[in-house]
Amino acid sequence: MKHFRYIFVALFGLGLLFVNFACVESDQGKNFDSSSDIVVDDQKSSVFRRIWSDVPTLDPHHVTDTISATIVVEIFSGLVTITPDLTVVPDLAESWVISSDGTIYTFYLRDNVLFQNGKKVTAYDVEYSLERALSPSTMSPTAENFLGDIVGFDAVMSGKSNKLAGVHVLDDRTISITIDQPKAYFLHKLTYPVSFVVDREDIERNDDSWFLNPNGTGPFILHEYIVGEKLVLRRNSKYYLEPAMLDYVIFKLSGGSALAMYENNEIDITGVEVADIDRISNVNDPLNSEVVVGIPGFDLSYIGFNVTMAPFDELDIRRALAMSINKPLIASQVLLDLVIPANGILPPNFPGYNFYYNEINSGNEYNLELARELIGNSKYGSNVPRIIITVPGMGGSVGLDLQVITQVWKDELSLNVEIEQVEWATFLDDFNARSFQAFVGGWQADYPDPENFLDVNFHSKSQLNHTGYFNHNVDSLLEDARIEQLWETRKLLYNKAEKLIVQDVPIIPLWHSGENMVLIKPHIKGYRLTPLILPKLRFVYIEN
Amino acid sequence: MFAYTIKRILWFPVVLAIISFVTFTMGFYGPGDPAMVRLGSKATPEAVERMREKMGLNEPFMYQYMTYASSALKGNFGESHSFSGRSVSELIVKKIGISLQLGLGAMFISLSIGIPLGIFAAIKQGTAMDTFLVGFSLFFYATPVFISAPVLILLFGVKFHLLPTSGWDGIVSLSAIMPIVILGFPGIAVMTRLTRASFLEVINQDFVRTAYAKGLSEYQVNFRHVLKNALIPLITIIGLSLATLVEGAFIAETIFGIPGIGRFAVESILSRDYPVIMAVTIITAFAFSLTNLIVDLLYCYVDPRIRLIK
Repeated sequence: MKHFRYIFVALFGLGLLFVNFACVESDQGKNFDSSSDIVVDDQKSSVFRRIWSDVPTLDPHHVTDTISATIVVEIFSGLVTITPDLTVVPDLAESWVISSDGTIYTFYLRDNVLFQNGKKVTAYDVEYSLERALSPSTMSPTAENFLGDIVGFDAVMSGKSNKLAGVHVLDDRTISITIDQPKAYFLHKLTYPVSFVVDREDIERNDDSWFLNPNGTGPFILHEYIVGEKLVLRRNSKYYLEPAMLDYVIFKLSGGSALAMYENNEIDITGVEVADIDRISNVNDPLNSEVVVGIPGFDLSYIGFNVTMAPFDELDIRRALAMSINKPLIASQVLLDLVIPANGILPPNFPGYNFYYNEINSGNEYNLELARELIGNSKYGSNVPRIIITVPGMGGSVGLDLQVITQVWKDELSLNVEIEQVEWATFLDDFNARSFQAFVGGWQADYPDPENFLDVNFHSKSQLNHTGYFNHNVDSLLEDARIEQLWETRKLLYNKAEKLIVQDVPIIPLWHSGENMVLIKPHIKGYRLTPLILPKLRFVYIEN
Repeated sequence: MFAYTIKRILWFPVVLAIISFVTFTMGFYGPGDPAMVRLGSKATPEAVERMREKMGLNEPFMYQYMTYASSALKGNFGESHSFSGRSVSELIVKKIGISLQLGLGAMFISLSIGIPLGIFAAIKQGTAMDTFLVGFSLFFYATPVFISAPVLILLFGVKFHLLPTSGWDGIVSLSAIMPIVILGFPGIAVMTRLTRASFLEVINQDFVRTAYAKGLSEYQVNFRHVLKNALIPLITIIGLSLATLVEGAFIAETIFGIPGIGRFAVESILSRDYPVIMAVTIITAFAFSLTNLIVDLLYCYVDPRIRLIK
């Protein structure tokens, strides 16, 4: 029995010891960081850490999403870029001249622009990059939308030519780009990653995986990327503008509880979720002093209708549904004022935003009586077909706002409404095939021009028009606005188009992002909260 | 037994072929297009079509399956659809290793604490200690990971700053403690209850009484006779648990930010990364087949009365 006890205690103790062994093993202070290669010189290096997700791509010509774009804009750069106050400024180009008819852009490159491996960037690299982006073998999802204004793009895209007729290299530092019409927003489009410069030698060496170790021109170099673990950026000391002040930026990709990681000093910045707002807003909470209120992003969430399908082929039904949503009430009671009710399509402070129309009179104000009347007078009368709203996401992620809205439609308008949730891959499939009757969608601006919201989503010929919406007058206004040179006149054209679109209700605009709360460690300085994705990490520094 | 083992091993390729075929068929005919997921919602139909062509998704079903199967036979699981330029092996090998470390650590805790507690409870059957141990272990078993994990994170991470709340620096590190404890403690309950029940069943058999009658000590009876016989059901459970380690622990990996295979496999399913899904399924199936065989062979070793028949 004595031996038995010893063995029993030994086994039990071993288990407990295993639980505790690592506590004894090390206690290296409170700055927990799983990136051991960086930690080696953590005391000397300035490192900025944040939680992030795996990037779908690091090839700038493939970027469509915000996750990838946030990283790519730090590694690569283009002829022009955009500032936090939404001004287009020179980047690789030192300056540019626009011809009097507005169709020829001549860019003059900086003399000191180098790739990260030290090779000089020339106008030929810009030419190659634009041609590569449009080449069918690149399979860029966005090249046509962003570079489709350049003369000769279709010949390159169709594979008939590998030279862009509208692009001419005048000398090593000068390049001209000719576009089909004088489009005022063309410079804005050049700020998108699909226009960024890539290194031909880098790509031709290994076309399938060059972007895993890319030779960019941006302020940071991709130091390391381990899928599902971490992505590390390192300062590019050869950067042509003022180099970054941080040595490294670590993007942690393996997930975790963001707020707990922030409180445990594992990351330096995190957003605040709805559940934590009450606590963080309390002035007695230690985190309260670290809250930074960010400006709203340029985006829109909406319910989209397939206007070619019953019952949404009937304007009165669409209007009735729009008029039965009490957006201010839902925004304050359900979404805790984290969103701004959207009456129009363009978000507040976005170029072209019309205060009167958006804030005072959109034409679809909350009016339940009128909504019931519209349904009664519609061709469907009391026999409105069942409505299915499809939402992307996983179980449990249907927004409370949508549940409230659909419940109102059921209770107040006596409609048969269902929410169908499908995961992202299936959603995309059916979304692009326009097979949804109604869906929950969203749009985030790529560049600050109304064309990016209105033309891209509502012109009948746009490939991103997912509602099947067609209004001849809207098409004409949008086409006129494309080539109008005077901003005030352009703005007026877009205002008119927006008003017509909202009256036709191919979508019910729901919310724009409101001011968002972000926690930033007090020693992190220079981090800018911006409404668009733009290169900004080189301005961040650590205050000792 | 040798012939039996060879026969079972020869069945492996058949099992794997069937499983890979079924998985491939579900992916092929199921909803969702990997090319569309890769290019995102702003992609033009032309770009999606070109991507489908590049990924080989426009080839006939059997051609795609046979191409995949022949490569997989050579150990090449192809290139990930979601992470272009990266081979599936490169992506999953390290993650399986991390999940295995996590699972083995948790299992070690479950076994090393659960089995002694189970034996102790069996020996003390009917006493207050027995009731307490069984009840106490049930408490851990009944607490789901998504409850226990945040509580530990709040306590040891946020409140006392003793442990990191996320990441993985290997099994011998601070970051391993919380996830291993969280995953290991429910297993203690399982092992305690199972060992207790199994031990009690054996302890009342005639041969145990005979052993005592021969004058053997309590230690000799319990360890030479009772425990060996009580181990058989435990081996089954341990064997099956070992196989599931390859699948990873999705919830714990997500909460603790551990780059294991569980979370990665779920994300691959959502993004329709078929090459990764196929590889994880095949490797998991292989692990199950292998551990089942080992469990069967261990039965014979532990209890010579069991004979494996061809």
